[in-house]
Amino acid sequence: MKPSVAVHKFSSCDGCQLAFLNLGEDLLALTELVDIRHFLEAGLAEEDAKVDIAFIEGSVSTSEDAARLRHIRDNSRHLITIGACATAGGIQALRNLHDTTGWTAALYASPQYIDSLDQVTPIRDVIPVDLELWGCPVNGRQVIAAVQQLLFGVAPPRQQDSVCLDCKRAGNTCVLVSGNAPCLGPVTHAGCGALCPAFGRACYGCYGPLENSNTEALAQQFARLGLDAAAITRRFGLITSGAEPFAGTVAKWRGLPT
Amino acid sequence: MAGPADVSDRRKIRIKVPALTRVEGEGALDLSIRDGRITELKLNIYEPPRYFEKFLEGREPAEVPDIVARICGICPVAYQMSAVQALEQIAGFTPSADLNKLRRIMYCGEWIQSHALHIHLLAAPDFFGCNSITELARSHAAEVHRGLLLQALGNDLIALFGGRSVHPVGVKLGGFHRVPDQAARTALADRVDAALPAAAELVRWCASLPLPHDDQDFVSVSLRHPSDYPITGGRLLSDTGLDVDISEYQQHFVEHQVPHSTALHALLNHEPYLVGPLARLNLNRDRLPAATRALADETGIRFPSRNMFHSLVARALEIHLALTEAARLLAQPDDDDSLTTPASPLPAGTGFGCTEAPRGTLWHRYDTDADGLIANAVIIPPTSQNQSRIEQDLHRSLTRLGLNRDADSLRLRAETVIRNYDPCISCATHFLTLNLVRDTSPTDPSDRRPLLLLGTGSALGTDSRAPQLVTALARDPTLQPYIADGRLRLLASLQPLRDGLSLADASARLVVLDTLSGTPTAGRLRHLRLNGAEPPPAWSSHQLSLPQLAELRTLVGVDQPLELLALPPAPTTTPDGPVQATHVAVVRDWLLTQLVARTAVSDTEPADKSDPA
Repeated sequence: MKPSVAVHKFSSCDGCQLAFLNLGEDLLALTELVDIRHFLEAGLAEEDAKVDIAFIEGSVSTSEDAARLRHIRDNSRHLITIGACATAGGIQALRNLHDTTGWTAALYASPQYIDSLDQVTPIRDVIPVDLELWGCPVNGRQVIAAVQQLLFGVAPPRQQDSVCLDCKRAGNTCVLVSGNAPCLGPVTHAGCGALCPAFGRACYGCYGPLENSNTEALAQQFARLGLDAAAITRRFGLITSGAEPFAGTVAKWRGLPT
Repeated sequence: MAGPADVSDRRKIRIKVPALTRVEGEGALDLSIRDGRITELKLNIYEPPRYFEKFLEGREPAEVPDIVARICGICPVAYQMSAVQALEQIAGFTPSADLNKLRRIMYCGEWIQSHALHIHLLAAPDFFGCNSITELARSHAAEVHRGLLLQALGNDLIALFGGRSVHPVGVKLGGFHRVPDQAARTALADRVDAALPAAAELVRWCASLPLPHDDQDFVSVSLRHPSDYPITGGRLLSDTGLDVDISEYQQHFVEHQVPHSTALHALLNHEPYLVGPLARLNLNRDRLPAATRALADETGIRFPSRNMFHSLVARALEIHLALTEAARLLAQPDDDDSLTTPASPLPAGTGFGCTEAPRGTLWHRYDTDADGLIANAVIIPPTSQNQSRIEQDLHRSLTRLGLNRDADSLRLRAETVIRNYDPCISCATHFLTLNLVRDTSPTDPSDRRPLLLLGTGSALGTDSRAPQLVTALARDPTLQPYIADGRLRLLASLQPLRDGLSLADASARLVVLDTLSGTPTAGRLRHLRLNGAEPPPAWSSHQLSLPQLAELRTLVGVDQPLELLALPPAPTTTPDGPVQATHVAVVRDWLLTQLVARTAVSDTEPADKSDPA
């Protein structure tokens, strides 16, 4: 019997699911290897299916999300979160930095119809997660590799490199050193292939912070490059503002005078 | 599921569609049929709002392309393009012909990718009795492979300019971070040329599918350009005579909230309208390149078309158009290799951007402050513009199909109707769950408390807006059943209560209808549940205070928290001019949602969320 897979979506742009849908021919090949039981965008609906691997895209935004997640966790042997929203709260975690009580009323005339939690949270705050694949969007190759590794009974390796290493492998000119650009590469997970430096621009951290990386030293360097406190806050607080150590750096620099 | 219906039954059908429209996530379709007529049809969007328009405030313009891309994983390029157009206007920057050309190629890539995905993954399986593309691949391998090839080509065109197709990194104010060299362009141009025959075959295949005949009247809206098929810019046009600069959008198109949706609905002259491939084709057939126009003629379909099922063919034609444009433009050498950049920081100002996303017109507005940071953002996606039209379409389509049909037929027709609009997350269409309840008793609501709507003000004086509105509501036919069975009571003034009229039911909800003073646009209704706190003065032109509220509650004899329903000020010269039909409709819709049974998802109203801010 083929292993079974489900893909669930929460609050997100849907871009990480495209990691599957953009596979093209490989998507059809994947369906030969596994039995995709639930994947709404692909036309397969079985929310309550018990599966070997469940992929979760999106962050937790409503009170119903939490209940739905616990249900999915009970039904899945392995649970993998994909993308910045599921692993870090995503760009919508920027909401956590603001007093949003007025926001719903500002945008929606009848705010009580909007069931919204005060804080946007990643999936692991609600249920235990077996593997996190970071990225905005996640790298489709990494997702498929994770499926294959699990099918072989191997634990997928954790990504420990920074974007800098991918830049070196690609032979990119360092934009931080030679361009004085406020690049987050030294503190960001590799996985995108160092796209932004290859395009001559500073990395903006969409693959999320490396654990224990020295964001404070990098923030000091940005200050020396001429960024003020507000600009530094914005730099670390964009796609994955909710994840440490970016979140700590954001909190610290927000409090500083500009 | 149930068998054939007995029309004389008071039949209630609830259709639930999970995951619907641009806003991805939970959505539901509520359909009530009574005595052979549709009495209620609502497209409910439960997607949690992500508040992009709010957290754009205070950001640098340079960050905007990266931020707005995250609104949609399928059409990030469209968001980036509308955004830079608006911001470059603030900067006083005019893109060169070269830059426009390169942006158009990238955008063509997105049209190809998105349309190919929709046709093959989402729409086609229906016509072959399949549930998914993997099933379809077993019987129609060649067509599926052709679709996947086109989708991949679209993705690669985007990646040529942006490194990856989801949230590409190349677009910036003033141009691209890196311009692809001629070798890279030529390689892709060869693939594009080679794909044109496949795209032509796709058009023929789509036109050959058994598309239902379902002509309806609707208004088509899209951009129009002096010479090109509209993708990256133009004027806003409708087929009922609208022809305006994009800066005038907000004067003609009004966003308003409906209680059952977290996406705002848009109306043109109080009417629903259509954006998207069919609307574009209806307004711009003459702008198609010759080969694409020949294909359109070959299909035998007359454009402009009134049949939404022709959207599928329109998408296929647009794939052919996009490939043709991309081939033409990739072969054109650049006039000038230099790239200029707008001055930074931006001045304070206002800018508008409007481009044609795969799903339709995408409009942005940004205001910058004195520091050159974003002060305000308004983003209106195509799928939310289509929502009113989708509801209107479902109403007519299902009625025309025959409301006495069995549940499965109704559900399937509703699915395919929604799918014509390619809502951005069309996964919904396969999961319509139809719960058919046959009963002969009145609907069984979750909240049976009677509702008393009281219009504040004086029916006789100048302050007559709310009482007039209540009087108009009392005449509305859809509310009659609820008035008749006592679940809704409408009072145009307090006088009957003072005169001794009593309401026996202390659990009744008391909702006071009032006029809001000094705020935003027409059509927006605000609802508050007042748990003892005094409402902020801005909410009520009558400055309802705590003692007055207490008097009301005692007078009426209810023990529930009082609720306030506030209308925006009427946009007429006199503050209390004739009651506006829009406001009657908006309040009536709100009342209906309160009176009719709601789905399990929507009947929780967190009390603390409705405390005044």
